[in-house]
Amino acid sequence: MALMPKRVKYRKQMRGKMKGNASRGNFVAFGEYGLQALESHWITGRQIEAGRIAATHYLRREGKVHIRIFPNHSYTKKPLETRMGKGKAEVEGWVARVKPGAILYEIGGVDMEVARIALCRIAHKMPVKCRFVTRRHTL
Amino acid sequence: MSDKMVLKAEIRQSTGTSKTVRLRKAGKMPAIIYGHKKAPVSVALDAHKFVRAIHHGQRIFEVDLDGTTETLLIKDAQYDHLGRNMIHVDLVRVDLQEKVTVAVPLELKGTSAGSHEGAIIDEHLDHLEIECTVASIPEKIVFSIKEVHVGDSVHARDVELPAGMVLKTSTDALILTCHLVAAAISAEDETIHEGEEAPTSPEVITEKAGEETTD
Repeated sequence: MALMPKRVKYRKQMRGKMKGNASRGNFVAFGEYGLQALESHWITGRQIEAGRIAATHYLRREGKVHIRIFPNHSYTKKPLETRMGKGKAEVEGWVARVKPGAILYEIGGVDMEVARIALCRIAHKMPVKCRFVTRRHTL
Repeated sequence: MSDKMVLKAEIRQSTGTSKTVRLRKAGKMPAIIYGHKKAPVSVALDAHKFVRAIHHGQRIFEVDLDGTTETLLIKDAQYDHLGRNMIHVDLVRVDLQEKVTVAVPLELKGTSAGSHEGAIIDEHLDHLEIECTVASIPEKIVFSIKEVHVGDSVHARDVELPAGMVLKTSTDALILTCHLVAAAISAEDETIHEGEEAPTSPEVITEKAGEETTD
């Protein structure tokens, strides 16, 4: 089941821009290891779910997967063979807007090698280039 | 913590985004020195030497600034958006016998007894705030988790600190828990995802009762 908000104020939203880098959610906060986006992109609820399944199937009874992004932005799409105009189309899906530096997933409770493979499997499901990161300890 | 290292600093006359970007391109690290009720000074350090010292666990520096040497402790560091490169550092003036409150990383050592029973260690806190003299700041605090069983939790009060150090983090702060999650929760999770009817669209707060979407 793809993620989407439970309640929203308005169903349809403007597409917006994705300028700059992630200034929040750009460090590993919950687990020990994380997957960091290196590009900006829309990540759909289905892609997020696919990533979660890829990781949990690999981890089986070990570890904990934290999803750090949520698809809170709707996008619309006109049906095929429809003339332009007649107002904004219906909602097609929900996406998370990801900027470079954003942590997408985190894994805790497993060894680094296991986490690396699990996060690599998630990275294959993502529409962005990603890198493996570890929690940065306080100086 | 390893011995002090001597670094040479230059006073930065010009500040601002474009100037600091140019400074970094020239291999310098912008920094600020403050503390001891003296005026703050914006300086530039040799980035390569500074970062290499940090990677070797150095936290206290002797900085030569216009012929005067000051003992400085890293107070804060800023990183770029990817968390790869340090872009700015705050250095605070200290005396070696002065007491300071610092965050020291907590390292978990060994394999917990719970792990052999199929549990996982969920780490909630990775550092502790301690008060100690500048000369005795430890690089890390090692805590053995060998005796942690399923259902156990470790709090800040359970960590044994070296002599002369006072814990500043709340004693009730949760450091880690050892619990069985994956097997029970993921199986439950899967059944929820398979069993329940997926909602097609979210509830719209501003939509009036009886109003339907057109198109």
